[in-house]
Amino acid sequence: MPSPSLDTIDVGDELPALHLTLTSEQVRHYAQTANMPGGRFMSDAEAKAEGLPGQIAPGNLSLALFSRLLTSWGDGVRIKRISATFRAIVRPNVPLVLSAVVTEKHASEDGNFLECDLLLENQDGERLVTGTATVELPA
Amino acid sequence: MTKIAIDRSMVGQEFDHTVFPPVTETEILAYAHAYGETNPLHTDPAAAARGPYGGLIAPPTFAVSLRGAHFMPRDMRSIGRNGFDAGKDIEMGAPIRVGDVLTGSSTVHDVYEKTGRSGTMVFIVFRTTVMNQDGQMVAIVDQKMMFR
Repeated sequence: MPSPSLDTIDVGDELPALHLTLTSEQVRHYAQTANMPGGRFMSDAEAKAEGLPGQIAPGNLSLALFSRLLTSWGDGVRIKRISATFRAIVRPNVPLVLSAVVTEKHASEDGNFLECDLLLENQDGERLVTGTATVELPA
Repeated sequence: MTKIAIDRSMVGQEFDHTVFPPVTETEILAYAHAYGETNPLHTDPAAAARGPYGGLIAPPTFAVSLRGAHFMPRDMRSIGRNGFDAGKDIEMGAPIRVGDVLTGSSTVHDVYEKTGRSGTMVFIVFRTTVMNQDGQMVAIVDQKMMFR
């Protein structure tokens, strides 16, 4: 993978979007691996018992997918900070799009940095998760 | 509806301090696999050994999988089932490597109230600072829980 550079990136640039559909098993597997055994993440039946419409994905999974979107941009991209607001539930078997746009770039003695806005939306364009990130680019 | 009082005296109180078992290669690989990570720094021990860190490092959000003994202060347990994860903020520090012994310290970082269309909500921010065995910060995780 080529490394992105501060010289070739402009404010407003978008990263290649990540398109995916989580399966029920993927959601369950992530929750178990991430030590989140809540019933709402395990099955429709357990989620409905909690008053939800069905199985939901943990917020941490959305955050992890944002990190995947950022680090797959190129070699040497390092996340310094990542933040997400869980605005609506993310459910399995729904097509999702994760995207990021550069909002600021700056260089300092500590390195080359970008600020990005993050968005996870469903096929209807509903903004399910929003976020921001600070990423460090290779020197 | 549960009525939750804003009690700012809890802010700053440590409610959990956990020393975790050494991080294993299996844990890092399993976590990376669980969300489809493809970066070899997190998925391929041989390739990672040739990389800038000289070995496998944990994915950026690995710290959220660390579970201390107490998720929230004991005297808040009664409202626990009504809470929803409203957001996360992670500041990354030193990379987490195989064999690291991590210590998590959790405090109530902030408590505040918001009133919206659906009524009044209380937000509690739990902050977990994760350090490695060398005293380096590896992550500061703020988890914002919302209670109606």
